[in-house]
Amino acid sequence: MKRFFEKFVESALLISGSITSITILLIIIFLFKEASGLFTTPVIEEGYELALNKTNPVKHLTSYEIKEIFDGKISNWNEVGGKNEAIELVRLSDLTKYYTEAELGSNFENIPAKSSELTSKHPGIILFLPTSYIKKDFNGTLLKHETLHPGDFFGGKEWYPTASPSPQYGLLPLLLGTLWVSLGAILLSLPFGISVAVYLAEIASMRVRNILKPVIELLAGIPSVVYGFFGLVVIVPFLQKLFQLPVGETALAGSVVLGIMALPTIITVAEDAMRTVPRAMKEASLALGATHWQTIYKVIIPYSKSGITSAAVLGIGRAIGETMAVLMVTGNAAVIPHTLLEPVRTIPATIAAELGETAAGGGHYQALFMLGVILFVITMIISISIEFIGKKKYSN
Amino acid sequence: MKANNKSENNTNINSPSGVRGSESIDRSKRRSQAIAFTIFKLMSYSVVAILFVILGFIIIRGIGVISWDFLTKAPEEGMTKGGIFPAIVGTLCLVAGSSIFSFPIGIMSGIYMNEYAGGSKLATFIRIMTNNLSGVPSVVFGLFGMALFVNTMKFGDSILAGSLTLGLLSLPLVIRTTEESLKAIENSYREGSLALGATKLQTIRKVVLPMAFPNIITGLILSIGRVSGETAPILFTVAAYFLPKLPTSIFNQVMALPYHLYVISTSGTNVETSRGIAYGTALVLIVIVLMVNLLANGLRNYFSKKVKTN
Amino acid sequence: MTNTRNIETNTNLSSPLGARGSLDVRGLTIDAKNVDFYYSEFHALKNINFEVSKNEVVALIGPSGCGKSTFLRLLNRMNDLIPGTRMTGSVLIDGEDIYAPNIHVDELRKEVGMVFQKPNPFPKSIFENVAYGLRVNGIKDKTFIEERVIESIKSAALWDEVKDKLNKSAFALSGGQQQRLCIARALAISPKVVLMDEPASALDPISTAKIEDLIHELKKDYTIIIVTHNMQQASRVSDKTAYFYLGELIEFDKTTTIFTNPKEHSTQNYVTGRFG
Repeated sequence: MKRFFEKFVESALLISGSITSITILLIIIFLFKEASGLFTTPVIEEGYELALNKTNPVKHLTSYEIKEIFDGKISNWNEVGGKNEAIELVRLSDLTKYYTEAELGSNFENIPAKSSELTSKHPGIILFLPTSYIKKDFNGTLLKHETLHPGDFFGGKEWYPTASPSPQYGLLPLLLGTLWVSLGAILLSLPFGISVAVYLAEIASMRVRNILKPVIELLAGIPSVVYGFFGLVVIVPFLQKLFQLPVGETALAGSVVLGIMALPTIITVAEDAMRTVPRAMKEASLALGATHWQTIYKVIIPYSKSGITSAAVLGIGRAIGETMAVLMVTGNAAVIPHTLLEPVRTIPATIAAELGETAAGGGHYQALFMLGVILFVITMIISISIEFIGKKKYSN
Repeated sequence: MKANNKSENNTNINSPSGVRGSESIDRSKRRSQAIAFTIFKLMSYSVVAILFVILGFIIIRGIGVISWDFLTKAPEEGMTKGGIFPAIVGTLCLVAGSSIFSFPIGIMSGIYMNEYAGGSKLATFIRIMTNNLSGVPSVVFGLFGMALFVNTMKFGDSILAGSLTLGLLSLPLVIRTTEESLKAIENSYREGSLALGATKLQTIRKVVLPMAFPNIITGLILSIGRVSGETAPILFTVAAYFLPKLPTSIFNQVMALPYHLYVISTSGTNVETSRGIAYGTALVLIVIVLMVNLLANGLRNYFSKKVKTN
Repeated sequence: MTNTRNIETNTNLSSPLGARGSLDVRGLTIDAKNVDFYYSEFHALKNINFEVSKNEVVALIGPSGCGKSTFLRLLNRMNDLIPGTRMTGSVLIDGEDIYAPNIHVDELRKEVGMVFQKPNPFPKSIFENVAYGLRVNGIKDKTFIEERVIESIKSAALWDEVKDKLNKSAFALSGGQQQRLCIARALAISPKVVLMDEPASALDPISTAKIEDLIHELKKDYTIIIVTHNMQQASRVSDKTAYFYLGELIEFDKTTTIFTNPKEHSTQNYVTGRFG
């Protein structure tokens, strides 16, 4: 009975022990499941058609080309591989420019016939209208319902999920925004973090350490939304004045806030690394007449290099995944940034800001889950590389 | 320059012998040390300054807002007036819900890792997975919680879904705390117990766990602090924009403090007029964090004294 | 000892090793045959044969890393706790193979008590420390526990020093007192054999003398195996001495023989302090 109980408890503990692994597995399954539909969603909004004149050699438009055409940025067919012919953009509402209301019928019953006629008469036309208005003997080419190409996502330069007729799910602006903000943050916090770590591990007296350690613990404990709020009411206006900016919500504001938030991680990991330096090694250096400072930068810092690298990588990982603070201070413009003084939008902020507005299962929803997949993969790579950095230290 | 004392001794050791280096080299060595140490010191104190600026700012701006009504009333007039009571209650619900889930499982997992799995391959694998899980961004937990608990398991936006999501998020912290607390217990105590004919489980229950308890409890309290401030995981699993009614079941939505702060400072009906409430909410969040830290440290001290004197 | 025997028959604290008393026809308490032991690849013990009779005190001596502690820990299967270890051969205690599959280690360890190098009392009261072994072995009778605890503390020559503070934390005791408390703790469950792994190495000379006196007393009731680095201690306390070197049992004989007239050259070198 006693032994059975021991076995029973041990299995219960084993099951609990495996829960993190199961969670990781479930996260992978569910993120991929929800995101998987993205590359099978049609490029054109569902329930709509794009029609061209039959003589138009263009049979295929990418999502980005469609968007550029409807934005008026592409105005000639030769830009998308067709003849030298001006593009004539016609939406359902534009039909009234070509036909009177009487011609379209009081209940718009003539729209199918008229749109067919219009398409056949105008060689440069691109007509966008609901599928229900397309009749069987439609005189024109209907663009095939293509699905979103992975290249459109991973290489896409625009994130505009509510664009009509072709939503843009380009990863690049978000990815670059995330990287800019995170790198900015780490550049700001690394020198601080390492200095504090050296100070704590080597220089500070016990009394000072006892003050600094709780301060760092507290910094780590402040919720990210409070950091975001502080950034919003203090750092953003400050930067706006300092650099004479039209808006203060910029990548730099995000970097400053994230830099502060990454400090505790960097300090703790780097300090722990410096504390593992064998006493004998330190004493050997001091005994040769090196000053304490020479010992620090010639012995202690080189010895704890892998720990300091882990600290930096971990800090970047925290910064990349941080959501609320960034969402509140970076301005959230989904454009590829050129300087740190422009508004940017990061991957986590995009998910947080947009998921609430999307319909489950739609293209936008799937795109946001795909962003989640990317975020997950990035953080996995970071976690595993830290594991690797740690291993390397021991094998040396 | 207290810090220099130690190292000056070291330099002085070889100076009198005059065997190597000249006075000037020694002096420049000392000067560069003084400069470097000053820089480190300044940088460290500026970190303290940052904390005090943040805390000070929010306390000064928020203290005037705090009142009994603020803490016990629901928001009014488009969240520009009234209090934050429903958000406080919501956050308490979420903290309780996630703790019920993550504490037992996390502690058991930590016990398994340290006492049973030891250095085996399985333990290494689980440890890597736990580390990985702790690196997963909170917004990904939000996505996951929405996909699994809200949509697939059909809990809807509810305390249950939010608590489970937050519970998973805090698991790695609980596991690691438990593991480290157990690791700190010297093996001789385990051997002492086993040598008296105690079984492994008896040894864990009667010797190891009681000794590790102070540190475990400290870790658990800190994880409560973390959970109460998380926003991203609850965005799509439980948090309500405005819901003055208090929850009556675990399938209700609730307001939560961090989400409330986010909403009223960015997308409320009138960001400027609700600024005061935002400061007040931020102050309440900060006070929670401060209290949690104080409590954790206090308990740690109390228990470590108690164990010694018994 | 009569007292102890009484208690044993009155309670559940019965021998797990089958029948009471010795199964061994030759009356050996410990009988190790052809024991080999490995830490993964390292061959730590080589073909050890070792016999001990009831109520003997045996000292295990030898330089660091010779395998004496490893051998000691084999006798209550403490080495089971170290992953990657392997053992061949057999160890019989009272005629029963303690490595047989039907033996439960926890019950074995009840029979073979152990005292460690560093005193390791639990963070409990003095009383609870001694009562621990009884409680984990399922004894609930309060008066019995109390009697047994007092008796054990007396046997460990600690009673006069702690009788007024049984409910105080064991950590409040001095190192030597803590070690005697650990001995009392081991005695409380009435083991047949008491293993001591350098029990006095962390103690001052006065505490060491007390422990040595105690060993003399305990010899009447228990079989004791003691690992020690201290030649004088070995010669003072033990009836027999086993000299280990590089994982082999070089010589095992009466203590007087080992210290005055050893057969092996290596033993002589060690006991006269020429190395180690």
